[in-house]
Amino acid sequence: MIITDLIKHEWQKGLRAQGFYRNLAVNLLLGFFALYIAAVLLFLGFSLDNILESADNTRNPFQLFSGGLLYIFLGGLSFRFFMQQLNTINLPPYQVLPVKRSMLVNFLLIKPLFSPINYFQLLITVPFAVQSVSKYYNGAVAFRFVLLSVLLVWFNSLMASFLKRRFGSGFVSFILVVLVLGLIASLEYFNVLSFFDISMKLFQSLILNPLGLFIPMAAVVGAYLLNRMFFSQNYYAEKFNSKIKAQKNVNANFSFLNKFGVIGEIISLEIKLILRHKRTKSILYMSAFFLLYGLLFYTRDEYQSSGGLLFFVAMFITGLLMLMFGQWVISWDSNHFDSLMTKNIPIQTYLKANYYLLIAFNVICFVLTTPYFFFGMKIVYMHLAAFVFNSGVNVYLLLFLTTYNTKRIDLTKSSAMNYQGTTFKSFLIVFPIMFVPMILVGIISALFSLTVALWALTVLGLAGMVMHKQLIGLCVSQFNRRKYALAEGFRQSE
Amino acid sequence: MIQVTHLQKVYNGVTVLNIPALTINQGESFGLVGNNGAGKTTFFRLILDLIEASAGEVTVDNARVMRNDEWKNKVGSFLDEGFLIDFLTPEEYFAFVGKLYGKSEGDIALFLESVKDFFNGEITGTKKLIRDFSKGNQKKIGIAAALLGEPKILILDEPFTALDPSSQIRLKRLLNELQTRHNMTMLISSHDLNHVTEVCKRIVILEKGIVVKDLQTREDTLKELEDYFAV
Repeated sequence: MIITDLIKHEWQKGLRAQGFYRNLAVNLLLGFFALYIAAVLLFLGFSLDNILESADNTRNPFQLFSGGLLYIFLGGLSFRFFMQQLNTINLPPYQVLPVKRSMLVNFLLIKPLFSPINYFQLLITVPFAVQSVSKYYNGAVAFRFVLLSVLLVWFNSLMASFLKRRFGSGFVSFILVVLVLGLIASLEYFNVLSFFDISMKLFQSLILNPLGLFIPMAAVVGAYLLNRMFFSQNYYAEKFNSKIKAQKNVNANFSFLNKFGVIGEIISLEIKLILRHKRTKSILYMSAFFLLYGLLFYTRDEYQSSGGLLFFVAMFITGLLMLMFGQWVISWDSNHFDSLMTKNIPIQTYLKANYYLLIAFNVICFVLTTPYFFFGMKIVYMHLAAFVFNSGVNVYLLLFLTTYNTKRIDLTKSSAMNYQGTTFKSFLIVFPIMFVPMILVGIISALFSLTVALWALTVLGLAGMVMHKQLIGLCVSQFNRRKYALAEGFRQSE
Repeated sequence: MIQVTHLQKVYNGVTVLNIPALTINQGESFGLVGNNGAGKTTFFRLILDLIEASAGEVTVDNARVMRNDEWKNKVGSFLDEGFLIDFLTPEEYFAFVGKLYGKSEGDIALFLESVKDFFNGEITGTKKLIRDFSKGNQKKIGIAAALLGEPKILILDEPFTALDPSSQIRLKRLLNELQTRHNMTMLISSHDLNHVTEVCKRIVILEKGIVVKDLQTREDTLKELEDYFAV
């Protein structure tokens, strides 16, 4: 079978990729992370019955679950729409061989369904079905429930790739999806229209009726056919491999930056870089969600006593963009590093531009997180201290340490959830920046008080700002020391 | 102008470049030929301070290039696509580079007018990003950007490959014009012996990192080169 050969080639492509073994440590780490997630999900699966049992007295856990299913379904679809990578194979070598077109199309479409990520949900649904659904109904219903969950995932996967190929996941569609989801949620919240009830009735009838599953099956087939239709209309390889190339350049003109001379030019270059590459854009979108991280901690009483942890959260959200991008400010220039190094840009100017960019990020994040001030004065002080510390200490640490990221980052090839270019060093760099301040605050507030701890970090941050010239100088000489290693590493493409 | 002293580059114990002494004078057009792996690109990268010399140094106008920024406003260069910023449109890229060399928008427009012939109407005015251009057109963009800062020294690696025949002829004309009119110093490497003898007045053959011949171009130089490389 040719399809097995295709699958084999995909495997070989992965295993023979140059970076695979060099990056074994990172891959192992990601593997452990996946195991951890799996364990958490399994735990959730086993305790879901209990949780739902105590949540509502009038409805049984299964009814509650099916009520929420529509939300899970829509959330999953939109998440996939933005995050799921389109399955691509390197087509040209196959196109000239006598391989049937429909075979290639089927391969493109069906392969993602075999991704293990799709079946993580079984860790929740199977225990829940066994424990809860079979208790209230019977084994057959429980079985159909699990089957339905798989069918929904298939449908989502196929539908997301169709929508993505058809419409592309640009900024406009992002806003559109957020608006639609927001509308549904607010209709529910203000009791105008309960999608919870609709969802409950819909999925209950699908599962309780022995023949009900034919409808989702038909939906899966329908989604598959939509994809086939798309490919039959877009016959040629250029449209085959990814979404239709909607070449809409962000022709944003950051002319206000012109006032700042060469530094402004480089900053506007970096902003264009962020806006014109999928990978950086998806980090930007993800950051929007991470800003809500504070809600998880600030609202809970049990964390209020732990100053270190709260400071960690404050630092994370007020410095979000800096922490997300800061480590890559040099390596994302790897594609055109030679250009920047030979054009008339003094190293100091280059680093200063990156410095101001990171500071601008900090200001933006600080402003965006001001709503958290409603949680009390403590949070206000925390955010202020975190902001000053981020802008006075961490920013230099990042600029200094990022010179150790010598791996080329190929922004053109990648999109969401892409770890290309991440090495073990990247994790080491994060450590002093994220955890040392947290530990500091923990120790000082244990010895003295939280106020003293916050003041201590604020003073450190202010000292860093005052010594700007010296610290940037330090970063410049570090950069000059590391320059050849960087240029060398960036020239090595994977 | 460019002075090379005891320059050596060693990779894993293998000496890939060893030039005891070499001087390139103001206004000289310096052609570098040699087979693959002879060290041409390594030499250019050393001049541009993109790799660290194992020993020795390169100076431009008596100032060392190593870990220094001063030479950058005198030298225009294009070695490969890494010298482009591929997510910009050509116009944006020229505007960016122009600003770096203190050019006004008028200067840039004037410059683009002067290379209009070379661009053959394919580069500007299309909103395409540089990464979507063909290799040949990317090369034209890179060469033009190298010239935009009115450099005293121009360094080009294999400028003729990937260009179509008409563009090759236009490029030769452009380079000769820059020499006669601006007295620009040029360092050009090429595999094409014809082109390089037409453009350069001095030709150096590198072999395994060593300068084996250093010739002033005469009528029989092409013949001499062909004989040298004949197998």
